[in-house]
Amino acid sequence: MLALALIAALGLLAFWLLSTPRPLTAADIPQHTPDVANGVRLYHAAGCISCHQPSPDLKDVATDVPAGGAPLHTPIGTLYPLNLTPDPETGIGSWSDLEFLNAVMRGISPEGENLIPALPYTSYAHMKPEDVLDIRAYLASLPPVKSPEREAEITALPLIRRGVGLWKWVGLDTTPWTPDPAQSESWNRGSYLVNAPGHCQECHTPRNVFMALDQSKAFMGGPHPEGKGKVPSLRGLIERGRYTDAADLASALQNGEMMGYDGLASGGMGRVQRNISMLPESDIQAIADYIASLK
Amino acid sequence: MVSKTVLGLFTAGVIALGFTSSAMADAKASIEARQACMKANGGMMKVMVPIIKGQKPYDKAAIDAAIAASQKACGGWADWWGADTKPDTAAGKAAKTEAKAEIWSDAAGFEAAGTAYLTAEAAVLASTDEASFKAAFPALGKSCQGCHEKFRQAD
Repeated sequence: MLALALIAALGLLAFWLLSTPRPLTAADIPQHTPDVANGVRLYHAAGCISCHQPSPDLKDVATDVPAGGAPLHTPIGTLYPLNLTPDPETGIGSWSDLEFLNAVMRGISPEGENLIPALPYTSYAHMKPEDVLDIRAYLASLPPVKSPEREAEITALPLIRRGVGLWKWVGLDTTPWTPDPAQSESWNRGSYLVNAPGHCQECHTPRNVFMALDQSKAFMGGPHPEGKGKVPSLRGLIERGRYTDAADLASALQNGEMMGYDGLASGGMGRVQRNISMLPESDIQAIADYIASLK
Repeated sequence: MVSKTVLGLFTAGVIALGFTSSAMADAKASIEARQACMKANGGMMKVMVPIIKGQKPYDKAAIDAAIAASQKACGGWADWWGADTKPDTAAGKAAKTEAKAEIWSDAAGFEAAGTAYLTAEAAVLASTDEASFKAAFPALGKSCQGCHEKFRQAD
């Protein structure tokens, strides 16, 4: 009896320790002068507005202001993404740089809780911290909006958050992105944009039994994260005749279905395409060069 | 007596089954008509986009013919959206519809998207030269995009 209790206690302790967040520390913050222009670019590349849309209740707030609060429906429940404007009470105005880096790159809130990986920190973890700090500088330049934080409607949320901590051992790869010297500069820029801020793999790569991205099947498509329909494969887009060449794919990413590129509006891709269209032409071409190379 | 009841039930069953499958066939035909309409619209884009991109010369006759083909394929539009054609119905699954449930839950929004399309299509049809065509086209392209974003399922 005592032995059983001891085993149970050890099990709980192990769960507690293994599910405890492992944050970045002050030593991980690079010396960096924020560049707001780069921040705008990365903000669009990271697709922040896709989820952090203003709540429908905020009628006088423009839809391109990341005031948060609009419901995000997922198979585990409804989330209300955070207000990213610099309002000190309801937004992120009072956050430190380290708190911002930890939320974006490690999925840890300033309160030290694990964030639900609907926030794609699993991809953002590969970003350059300088780029993340530039996004923060851009967000800090926005006019503050009052948009109170709303707790996610998920059953047993505190337990789920601990579970996410455990899951991070298999689901969160914190390896920084590295270039491939054999490839062109544009290809490498595309690889970075796609795999780190762009978080394309979060939907276009299927997950294994642990709900971690299955890198052996990278970009091969999979079930839609909202539960209905499929996300298409990004491999062999040129070979399969989906696009004539990388330039055609770049035009598709720039213009979407407005120019007759079928399939680029549905399933959430419309918002993604709109974000990509805000990038400089060289970045769009870089994304296309990289995606077109996926066989 | 028993056999008569059984026969009656059997007959009723056969009739019901026949009725159901014919209703299902109608629903499936509606979905296939929608798909043919969308295919014609896709064909229309294939005529117009190369002109917009400057890959092909402006051709009023080709543009008008593409619109006419679309209008022909889409003529029965208003009758194709019965509740038995929703994505989770037998017909919806059989015909692999990409229509989203929002078409029925946000009927006003769907109607508005259709109106935006028809208005833009009329403007393109009314365009008389390359400049007026290029000015009218973006609204048409955006109407495709806007409607698909809200009302079309991912693959």
